Amino acid sequence: METILQIQKIKEPKKLSKRIQWLRDYYFSGVDRKWNNEFTAWTTGTAWDIQYDELTYYIVPETYPFLETFRASMKQTARKVKTPDDFFQWSLPERKAWFVKETMVNYVPKEILPGDLIAGARFNLMSSKCWTEQEAKAVNKLIYGKKGSRAEMKWFHDHGYGNSGATSGHIIPGYDKVLKTGWKGIHAELNAFYEKLTETDQNGSKGAQLRAMMTAATMPRELAKKYSNICENKAKQETDTGRKAELLQMAENLKKVPWEPVETFWEALQALWLTHMLVMSDENYPGPGVSFGRIDQYLLPYWQKSMSDGMDREFGKEILKTFWIHANTAYDAMIRVGANQGITAGYGQLITLSGMGPDGKDATNDLTYAILEVIDEMSPILEPKPNVRLHRNSPEKLLNKVIDMISGSQGAPFLLNFDERSMAGMMREAKKGNFEHLINKNNVYDYAPVGCLENTMAGNDRSGTVDNNLNLLKAVELALTNGKDMNQFVDPITGKKEKIRQDGPKTGEATQFKTWEEFKTAYIRQTEYIVKRIIDLYEKSESIRAKYNPTPYLSCLVKGCAEKGMDVTQGGAEISFTTVEAVTYATTVDSLLAIKHLIFDKKLATMEELIKALKNNWEGFEVLQARAKYKTPKYGRDDDEADAMGYFVMETWTNEVWKYKTKSTNRQFRPGMLSWNYWVGDGYVMAASADGRKKGQFLSNAICPTNGADINGPTSNTNSVGKVLGGRTENGDWEDFVNLVPNGTSHTITFNPSFIKDAEHKEKFKAFLKGYIENGGTALQINILDPDMLRDAQKHPQNYRHLLVRVTGYNAYFTAIGRELQDEIIARISHEKM
Amino acid sequence: MAGSKTINARLLEIQRMSTEDGPGIRTTVFLKGCSLHCSWCHNPESISPKPQLQWLQANCIGCQLCVAACPNHTLSYIDEQIVIDRNICESCGICVEECPTGALEIMGKEVTVDEVVHEVLKDKAYFEKSGGGITVSGGEPTLQADFVAEFLKRMKENNIHTALDTCGLAPAGAYEKVLPHTDLLLYDLKEIDSNRHKEFTGSSNEKILNNLLTIYEWMNVHELPKTLWIRTPIIPNTTDTEENIAGIGKFLAENNIHPDRWELCAFNNLCNDKYLRLGTRWKFEKYDLLEEEKLDHLVAVANNPGINGAKIIWTGSAKTKEEIISRNGNEPIPVDYCRITGLPDDE
Repeated sequence: METILQIQKIKEPKKLSKRIQWLRDYYFSGVDRKWNNEFTAWTTGTAWDIQYDELTYYIVPETYPFLETFRASMKQTARKVKTPDDFFQWSLPERKAWFVKETMVNYVPKEILPGDLIAGARFNLMSSKCWTEQEAKAVNKLIYGKKGSRAEMKWFHDHGYGNSGATSGHIIPGYDKVLKTGWKGIHAELNAFYEKLTETDQNGSKGAQLRAMMTAATMPRELAKKYSNICENKAKQETDTGRKAELLQMAENLKKVPWEPVETFWEALQALWLTHMLVMSDENYPGPGVSFGRIDQYLLPYWQKSMSDGMDREFGKEILKTFWIHANTAYDAMIRVGANQGITAGYGQLITLSGMGPDGKDATNDLTYAILEVIDEMSPILEPKPNVRLHRNSPEKLLNKVIDMISGSQGAPFLLNFDERSMAGMMREAKKGNFEHLINKNNVYDYAPVGCLENTMAGNDRSGTVDNNLNLLKAVELALTNGKDMNQFVDPITGKKEKIRQDGPKTGEATQFKTWEEFKTAYIRQTEYIVKRIIDLYEKSESIRAKYNPTPYLSCLVKGCAEKGMDVTQGGAEISFTTVEAVTYATTVDSLLAIKHLIFDKKLATMEELIKALKNNWEGFEVLQARAKYKTPKYGRDDDEADAMGYFVMETWTNEVWKYKTKSTNRQFRPGMLSWNYWVGDGYVMAASADGRKKGQFLSNAICPTNGADINGPTSNTNSVGKVLGGRTENGDWEDFVNLVPNGTSHTITFNPSFIKDAEHKEKFKAFLKGYIENGGTALQINILDPDMLRDAQKHPQNYRHLLVRVTGYNAYFTAIGRELQDEIIARISHEKM
Repeated sequence: MAGSKTINARLLEIQRMSTEDGPGIRTTVFLKGCSLHCSWCHNPESISPKPQLQWLQANCIGCQLCVAACPNHTLSYIDEQIVIDRNICESCGICVEECPTGALEIMGKEVTVDEVVHEVLKDKAYFEKSGGGITVSGGEPTLQADFVAEFLKRMKENNIHTALDTCGLAPAGAYEKVLPHTDLLLYDLKEIDSNRHKEFTGSSNEKILNNLLTIYEWMNVHELPKTLWIRTPIIPNTTDTEENIAGIGKFLAENNIHPDRWELCAFNNLCNDKYLRLGTRWKFEKYDLLEEEKLDHLVAVANNPGINGAKIIWTGSAKTKEEIISRNGNEPIPVDYCRITGLPDDE
């Protein structure tokens, strides 16, 4: 324990019952727990069998050095599941469906935690890939061969382009349908599709897929039966009559759901949880982005029924809270690896709350508030991650609750999603991808985000929202170097130097360019090139997944798969996009602005000097670097000229992305802007940039301005974001809103706590959010200025020179006010949070 | 329209998303030049009407390009400090242009009405949603009454709420120009004792008190200004006395002035460096923030039953009480999946 100055750093949970307090404490005891949900690995027992799917980790560069280790350790610890004799004569999807079902139902241990109200504990699974020897050989070649997916993706990342890989999760399965029809209904539907097939089709891949899906569709029923028995047995031994009754009710629930349609709220949460956790089992992927969608909408009928049948509202919340605990056990997957008990990042099982309903009316209801209360009482807790959708008709009561929750913690315990701008993006993708029959003004309000803020439709949409992450800045580098890397790549492990090669097109020696237009043309061509390059790279992992990694259980929950007799990994979803997420956006815009300003407009340096400075990582060129950093226009200041450059960059790269579809699965590429942590890590990979950034310094995050550029406050920052997304025009995609980036854009603003210090200021903050609806982007994370950040500013003033602290309308540059006053402000900010 | 372009102002700064200068979210336009010289002034760079050069040490990389660039040899570099000879400096801006980091700045620039209008309209959406608008502050804005009148008029044409922040000492005829376009008047009453007022601000207060009476009469017969806020800076060892607050209250009550709000603005100690940057020292540099109890007490004193209807509050920051506690080391700190914020870009 260290003694430190009072900082209200972590909000405390409140109003928790004994049961929930115990479960929460137990959960946070982490590795000390007797029970956990870490991966268990299972094998067919063949010599060539593997479990670990590295493709799904290609977008996590931190894991590259460990891919071999993970693969080997899973194989080593895998336990054998006895397979039928003719197993390897079956089709791959049928093998996979059978194997996952057999393992989950008959091998993986099952427990009910003390006091728990929902069954379904262990789900983190590493199942056999169920490949034949021949299939395993073929996959090995495609992955590990000289031109295999691993080598290619590694080269791509090492050279600063970004990363790409066919990734699991990131989808809203059709949970509402399971609740309505039960798995029984889904099974019957699959059977009907199967019966309708011609005999040839039945014997072909469609038939195999549908048979596999039918097997998968019975998995929840079998598993629920097992859990029901456990509940009954526990009830027999239970002496506490209250708990006994709960266990008996759980047993009853599980006898019925998720196979039969749901009637009560308790049944609904039980059915939802089992159905959801099995998606993670099926994909061998704990969580990331397997999202719930609009739970306050589709759970509402059951909530209302149970409430009118006399359910105590607090008990309803109690069931929700146990659901919350279950969602967090996803993190147990790697509980013994790394710090924080394996919690390295939020997994993003997203829930969506509130938002627009039909006819522009608001859809907030009593369940919305009950869930917000649950979040408030449980937090800090990571899962499920809430997104609250706001729009012009959001009720004051909701906004007040949102503001209260923000001011009660160190930042918003949820992300805000903005309907008008988001829906404009969805309408745009409908047009671009020819999905207007599936996304149109009659249903677009039912969109919901997955993962963090990536907008999709629900139950029929897989849009590969994190599969491709492209550093736009690479195009600026290549335009400066006539298509070659600025710096030689040196392998950080072997120290081996790689020869610089002509990778991008030759767009001319930048030193010969006489005008900005010439440079701009080169930049456009290099952008075309890097987009094409990531699309080609993606094809590698996408085609392997489509052929060798079916997920028949998940496919049951995605409309289109049964209809087409096609797995979701093969593009079976009705709406099947895949997304290119642009990283380094603001660094790119600011670099172009700097080149234009310093070289062509003001002629403060020559192109030779600039290139030399960048090659030398600005060392020896400090004056030029300072001019680039501090004396050139920047995106994020609501400066029309700079933001016009921002719009140019946005239009150029998004137009390019729309040109492509995957070859193996016919999925349309669409643009998005989420930078996960790449903007930090790739800062060490990418060369110095013309905006004054050195190699090793962070890049810009998603659609946020570069660090330190935001000097005109939250409204100007917001306006810039809205403008570069297309702003508002007569020919908007939703009303007058335009959104060039349908997937959505991650935007973070940090506020001084004084913005929400009292009722009057909370009203002003609420008005800011209403202004954001009009002028801003699709999603906003609100952070409150943290005393730790100010302490860091004391240590590293050079990084915070534009940090304004506002105290009662009085502005001061934090770094300029002297140590004593800095300390006082830190103390004050800590105080204001209380 | 064409004519308005010719009216220029000496602008100090435009501050967006102001939350302290009137209702709602506002953009505050600070003009340069003041008719008072308050010893506690929190914005000393706003007093002189002339452009002034200043140097921010934190931003300087010591390249000395400025020293070389100055045609009058005004600047020298001594002990890692840029020293400005203010007797010679004409604030011509050549060094500012040359400075690569923005460490040198000219406070105060000439702007047109159009330029300011363009800038403030950018936040119209936020004004509308919050019931906010623009505030013209200073310095003393009525010293540039023609500009202010034209600017406020343009704001009213755009249906934007307008506020004017004045110290009460204006040139003759200035208020008549600006008040017809002002929704909210923020009027300073700093010290009721005229001698003390003169001692603190350089001017006695008779004219200020009289102006308030005249304006209040005006408000009774004109549509605008609709609203009046009185503001009193609470400065340690000067205006922070019971006598002063009670006296101001008595003055308002006796003259039947009923402001909509009376704000006691707490002393703020953040401007030390501003004085240093201008080459002077601040008389109040050693003073601490006021105690919360004291401010609460003064609010109670201000509550004169004669000023019915006024919302009397103190604003700003009071001294904090720091506590030492232990951090519970058990719980993991949640890490956001999407983004890591607050990280420095150099480690």
